[in-house]
Amino acid sequence: MAWRITTQLPTPGKLNYLSHITNPTITQLSWRNTLSSPIIRISTGGKRCGGGRAVVACSAGASASAVNLAPGTPVRPTSILVVGATGTLGRQIVRRALDEGYDVRCLVRPRPAPADFLRDWGATVVNADLTKPETIPATLVGIHTVIDCATGRPEEPIKTVDWEGKVALIQCAKAMGIQKFVFYSIHNCDKHPEVPLMEIKHCIEKFLQDSGLPHVVIRLCGFMQGLIGQYAVPILEEKSVWGTDAPTRIAYMDTQDIARLTLIALRNQNISGKLLTFAGPRAWTTQEVITLCERLAGQDANVTTVPVSILRLTRRLTRFFEWTNDVADRLAFSEVLTSDIVFSVPMKETYDLLGVDSKDIVTLEKYLQDYFTNILKKLKDLKAQSKQTDIFF
Amino acid sequence: MNGGSSGISPCGNGSLRGTNNLFVMFTSPNSPHQRPWLTATRRRVLLTVRATVDKKNTSSNNNNNQKKDKNPNASETTGEQEVLLRRQTLSLDDVNPVGLGRKSRQIFDEVWRKFSGLGQISRTTRADDKEALDALLIREGPMCEFAIPGAQNTTVLVVGPTSRIGRIVVRKLMLRGYTVKALVRKADEEVVDLLPRSVEIVPGDVGDYSTLKAAVQGCNKIIYCATARSTITVDLFRVDHVGVSNLTKAFQDYNNKLAQLRAGKSSKSKLLLAKFKSADSLNGWEVRQGTYFQDVIASKFEAGMDAKFEFTEAGDAVFSGYVFTRGGYVELSRKLLLPLGYTLDRYEGLVLSVGGNGRSYVLILEAGPSADTSQSKLYFTRISTKVGFCRVRVPFSSFRAVKPEDPPLDPFLVHTLTIRFEPRRQRPVEGLAGAKQDLRSFKLILEYIKALPTGQETDFVLVSCTGLGVEPTRREQVLKAKRAGEDSLRRSGLGYTIIRPGPLKEEPGGQRALIFDQGNRISQGISCADVADICVKALHDSTARNKSFDVCYEYVAEQGRELYELVAHLPDKANNYLTPALSVLEKNT
Repeated sequence: MAWRITTQLPTPGKLNYLSHITNPTITQLSWRNTLSSPIIRISTGGKRCGGGRAVVACSAGASASAVNLAPGTPVRPTSILVVGATGTLGRQIVRRALDEGYDVRCLVRPRPAPADFLRDWGATVVNADLTKPETIPATLVGIHTVIDCATGRPEEPIKTVDWEGKVALIQCAKAMGIQKFVFYSIHNCDKHPEVPLMEIKHCIEKFLQDSGLPHVVIRLCGFMQGLIGQYAVPILEEKSVWGTDAPTRIAYMDTQDIARLTLIALRNQNISGKLLTFAGPRAWTTQEVITLCERLAGQDANVTTVPVSILRLTRRLTRFFEWTNDVADRLAFSEVLTSDIVFSVPMKETYDLLGVDSKDIVTLEKYLQDYFTNILKKLKDLKAQSKQTDIFF
Repeated sequence: MNGGSSGISPCGNGSLRGTNNLFVMFTSPNSPHQRPWLTATRRRVLLTVRATVDKKNTSSNNNNNQKKDKNPNASETTGEQEVLLRRQTLSLDDVNPVGLGRKSRQIFDEVWRKFSGLGQISRTTRADDKEALDALLIREGPMCEFAIPGAQNTTVLVVGPTSRIGRIVVRKLMLRGYTVKALVRKADEEVVDLLPRSVEIVPGDVGDYSTLKAAVQGCNKIIYCATARSTITVDLFRVDHVGVSNLTKAFQDYNNKLAQLRAGKSSKSKLLLAKFKSADSLNGWEVRQGTYFQDVIASKFEAGMDAKFEFTEAGDAVFSGYVFTRGGYVELSRKLLLPLGYTLDRYEGLVLSVGGNGRSYVLILEAGPSADTSQSKLYFTRISTKVGFCRVRVPFSSFRAVKPEDPPLDPFLVHTLTIRFEPRRQRPVEGLAGAKQDLRSFKLILEYIKALPTGQETDFVLVSCTGLGVEPTRREQVLKAKRAGEDSLRRSGLGYTIIRPGPLKEEPGGQRALIFDQGNRISQGISCADVADICVKALHDSTARNKSFDVCYEYVAEQGRELYELVAHLPDKANNYLTPALSVLEKNT
């Protein structure tokens, strides 16, 4: 897929779009550094693309007549659509929303192994694909709120889901009169345009603002759940743990807390149109996380420290070639890692705004401690059951 | 393995570099990123691969040695060797370009994933092998904030799973890992579509006892949130009254069957203390009389009292008589004989099946070391009966010490039971107002006395209503049916929780503080999700057992018309708000 696109669009492009939905004024965003992106042009009449190919084929939101003027059939305020419901954050949101009594519809991509766990929880699962915009509108029928926590798979080009898919989704949502749109962005995304994913997120934020949809943008720092696969599991399995020596600190947060706060924010009418940043109670460096894991697991990790300079070098190298640009995009975060920036914000105001007690937010120590106590107990049980020495999950 | 992998790498590279065709063959369509990476940064990372493999091997070797030291199990070590051998032979088999290429690709893949994971922020790369771990930890496992210990072994029957409350109840139960059975009238496709797939659907009608037998099979708990679809009396009667009573019967029958299978030793079976079936069964019971006043005047105006306990020809054991003396009483007493191995501390109260003319009686328990009756302490409670037969439940917790300084009743020490009649504080029986009643005479027909097994938790959660949301013209009928249903549940002997929510609202739960109250004083509505949450929380809450309560949103005054300032809300939903809220409410209501 990526091979085809990149060979056909060899010219480095500039990303422009005309915001046309609510105001006639032209907002122009530029995507400065990306070499591989084709020109996406959205205009009132439809879409024209750089190579004469329709990259974004959603015209639903584009025509002026599709702007929601009449209220139409009222929808129940408890009906929500979660995009990306199988993801780390998405599933927590689905679960939380179901528990709070919402009717949850999940937009998932058609796949050979369907997401049965969502159905088992009582959610409705609909198949659609953000990269195929024609599949989106049907899923939005009867929906009050859209929560968008989708992101592209690691093997996909960064642009297809996170930019083209999202634009199509927002346009459809606007056209179908969705009454609230929740979008997850990355903290500090406006300060790092050199990282493609962050720039895309920032562009979407702006796009959403211009679209006139009632929306909430939530900027996140990092998920605790991600640390399990990255550090905790390798330490327990006595495999090598890869870390960087970057001084960057990230305030990791439990996705269950994010889900809880999101739903509170969703119901709060004062928050509509605002930008919230959710950060965990404390910011951690990679090394600190690894040390914490080692302490809790009671064993030393086999740490392979990759200097940030190597990451950056790799990125530089990969940027020389057309076909390695996906890789470069993926490694782009290393640019941020070199600065000793802190991915965290004081949460006092947000807590007050949402009416949440800061004591209810899980700390990383508590989270990892729970994990290790549980997993070590499970391992002990497993070992007691069988004489097997290699345990794979 | 060491040599194997280092041999593979260059070979694999060669094949990869060789022809484009081969290369395309190796690269799966969903992983385009390896290709560029190979070309650009092949050399350096290859070194890293080898290094890590070395490290891994040495560490696992060490590990094996350690394990052997710890656990010198012969079979285990041979097993390991076998595995190693198999691995080696496998790698020998794979010495062809395709296999080598695939293998090298796997290694690259792994390393690449880790490497690129470093350059990312909140994206979690998830490979397929992580799915199982994920399921274990994040979805069902203990890491989930919804997880409830014991939920896996609990089967809950939800009656009315498609009702407004029911569908949320089903979802909540599924999220918490319960096994859920759903009783539906007809298992139509549209009904089935509404329910999660792993819910076991049982067709049945609460109005028809015979269909409920299958439904209660294997159930530990029941949540009843069905309600009549109309306010026509027949419907109300069928669902709200007979439905509840049928289901309690079916559930009790099932429990009794289990108890029988376990030779009456089930924790669900009641303990028979006395059964008055024959004249012999009256042996041991002793009739006594006395007065509270020991003064002379009382004896001067002695008007007399008399009582007898006899077995009538109709087959009833009747305790009857009269007390005209001021401050006098008559009582029927007996030492309790418990079967060997049984103690009353595993029971939570007494149930008496009695009939008669509706007087109230004082039940007195004597507790203390049975060897030395002089140390016995007395505990009493008052029970009222109805005209005709009824069953009276008397929890041990309702007994109070005669002497205030005595400790609360310990059922373990109880050795004597007394039923006392006294003319004080008797109320005339309603409905017999025309007939002249002499409140000083009494008649009590005893059928049996049993001890109720203790249960920590509620077995049957019933969602009733306060009648606030019902249209006024039909309110009386609706309430009548609902109250009748509640009563049949209370009498059933099951541990129950009766929830009477205010008018239901379709909105997300957990937003507003809730008021728990008894005595029909609430005025606000409540969201369906909150009611569902209370149902699910009540399942494992010992304070919810045998309680009925009203629940609604906290009253919020209109702007500018507040009488009081709001000082405190109930705690956040994440905490268990139910226990503190319910612990202050009356039991057995």
